[in-house]
Amino acid sequence: MVDGSAMRIKQIAKKEVVEFSRDWRTIIAIIVIPLLMFPLLFILFPVLLQSEAAELKSLQLDLTIQTDNMPDNLSMIINQSSIAITYEELPILDDLSQPGDDIERLRNGSIDAILRITQKEDIWYYSILHMSTSEHSSEAKSRLLHDLNEWEDNETAARIESGGLDVNSTLNPLRWDGEFSQADAATAGEQAGMALSMFIPLVLAVWTFSSAIQPSIDMTAGERERGTLEALLSLPCTRLELLFGKWLAVATITGVGVLLQIFGLLFAIGYLANSSIIGVPELSLVTILLIIGAIMLFAIMVVAIELALAMRSHSVKEAGSILGPAIMLIIFPALFTQVINLDGIESFWFAIPVVNVLLALRELLMNRIITSHIIIWVGTSILYALMAAKYASMQFKREDIVTSLS
Amino acid sequence: MSETLLSIKGVAKHFDEIEALSHIDLDIRSGEVVGLVGSNGAGKTTLLRLMAGVYTPTKGSVTLKDGSDVSTMRHMLGVVPESTGLYSRLTAWENIRYHSRLYGIDDETSWKRTQLFASRLGMSDSLSRHTKGFSRGMKQKTALLRALAHGPSILLLDEPTAGLDITSARTVRALVKQLRDEGGTVVYSTHQLEEARQVCDRIIIIHNGEVRADGSPQQLMEQTEQDSLEEAYVSLTADQARSRNEDADSEGRITAWWRKLFTPKTPELEVEIDG
Repeated sequence: MVDGSAMRIKQIAKKEVVEFSRDWRTIIAIIVIPLLMFPLLFILFPVLLQSEAAELKSLQLDLTIQTDNMPDNLSMIINQSSIAITYEELPILDDLSQPGDDIERLRNGSIDAILRITQKEDIWYYSILHMSTSEHSSEAKSRLLHDLNEWEDNETAARIESGGLDVNSTLNPLRWDGEFSQADAATAGEQAGMALSMFIPLVLAVWTFSSAIQPSIDMTAGERERGTLEALLSLPCTRLELLFGKWLAVATITGVGVLLQIFGLLFAIGYLANSSIIGVPELSLVTILLIIGAIMLFAIMVVAIELALAMRSHSVKEAGSILGPAIMLIIFPALFTQVINLDGIESFWFAIPVVNVLLALRELLMNRIITSHIIIWVGTSILYALMAAKYASMQFKREDIVTSLS
Repeated sequence: MSETLLSIKGVAKHFDEIEALSHIDLDIRSGEVVGLVGSNGAGKTTLLRLMAGVYTPTKGSVTLKDGSDVSTMRHMLGVVPESTGLYSRLTAWENIRYHSRLYGIDDETSWKRTQLFASRLGMSDSLSRHTKGFSRGMKQKTALLRALAHGPSILLLDEPTAGLDITSARTVRALVKQLRDEGGTVVYSTHQLEEARQVCDRIIIIHNGEVRADGSPQQLMEQTEQDSLEEAYVSLTADQARSRNEDADSEGRITAWWRKLFTPKTPELEVEIDG
């Protein structure tokens, strides 16, 4: 009897996965997008940014310098920054930052920036009039600040030298001795675990929920809407077998999606950082098993809830309007969990739904095995998963699921 | 007298406040084709779903010949719902094989039976095609093949010719007659009297959730003292038919309230009628 039940669950799950995989849009949504999302974001986006930055750097910008006493060498430094300079008299104003009559020239783009500079005793005062919403003007301001810093460094060094002091020891009287990384008691593996713990739980939680939405709806409200559920309900399989079969199918599809997304994420990070920022975390076999257990319990709960909510719905549209906003129930706790300090954390956090598994994943990725925390999150996760499964089974046993809008 | 395969005793079915069926007593005997005839909302589909074990009776029982509850012996039944229930991304054979496997039948056996009936229905060449592009008639035939592939004792058909073209409807009716000739048992729901007369040995007239008459076409005419089956049906169902209510009942209260809130009232028009 158990064999027959297992066979039916397997057949239901197999058919769902086969049918689901025959829709090319589904394959793109579940496999291609998760696999390519982070590589595209982390590799192509910086390339685009670099290309835009190079384009800005090659721009010839127009600058007006208003001064009554230009510092030595500053003009020469600015001239090297692809900036065409026009000199004007310094207007009489309360302070140099007041735009005065120059505001129109900046707003209509006839000049990109105005540098005002004057000397009072030993101090040079300056301001850069610019328009922050114009990329040309912002670039001009950025180049000017760079040039002014260079001039300031030269001026500071000259003044220190003229006072008879050593420039290097005067400007850097406190220095780190040796390699930064050598002084860290945490191993490279632990540091890698720490870095991964900042985003892997978040990605897992959000993607598990979001990638389960479409298959959950298709296999429940979709079946109901298409009128295929009645024929299925008249077969010699129980409603629980139906639920388990569909759960297995959704969990398989979701699991593949989540794994591919994490693979894509790690590939992108590895490519960007040339494997130097994030390495392989040091995880014991027990930790790895606990991580898998935590993800499984979370998936049981999430998929069961989604199947239940979708099965309650009369149509795909209705299910989508319920499950779409429901993702907030995962995103908020997930974001919240990322900022909780794990050192000395109170145990009750490990009993809160969603938060418990995310905190557990953070601790485990940092290879922290704290028995009391594990007992609490395993116990509560099993409880929540059972409650979700019970709720789902109640929805699958409803008689009205046989009725179809079509 | 043939043996009773399916027994319905004192069955009533309620959906909350609504009584869809009241006090139904029926026996389905081996080798007969039974027609359930009634208007839309009469309770035919509810009765078929009770026979298929999809619904549980509020009162009474639906049992098979050995006294077991029908919901535990579904492998003895073959069901074709009105919607056919085919998966469009699977081929016709994959649809059939999926159900057969869930019935616990091996692929070879179900393939042999499918080939046998497919040739009768002219479907042999279409078994490897995806059902997405099938006409209504081909879908209905595929659903019939699916219901027959595991060798059921009783075939339950919910309006199997609804929406079919004349040729397809004729083919379906011919298959049912062949099944009867081979000793098969079929329960056939329809709202077309002529079709029921052609196909069925016995007609059960259902109206407003009650069985109004049960017998052969000749017996129904004699019982009502009418010359035709149509006149007999009209005299048995003279009271106004209720509207279909079981689906509407499944709508949530908040959903129903919200929908009503944004539905303007139908204006009452004052129209003077001459004469």
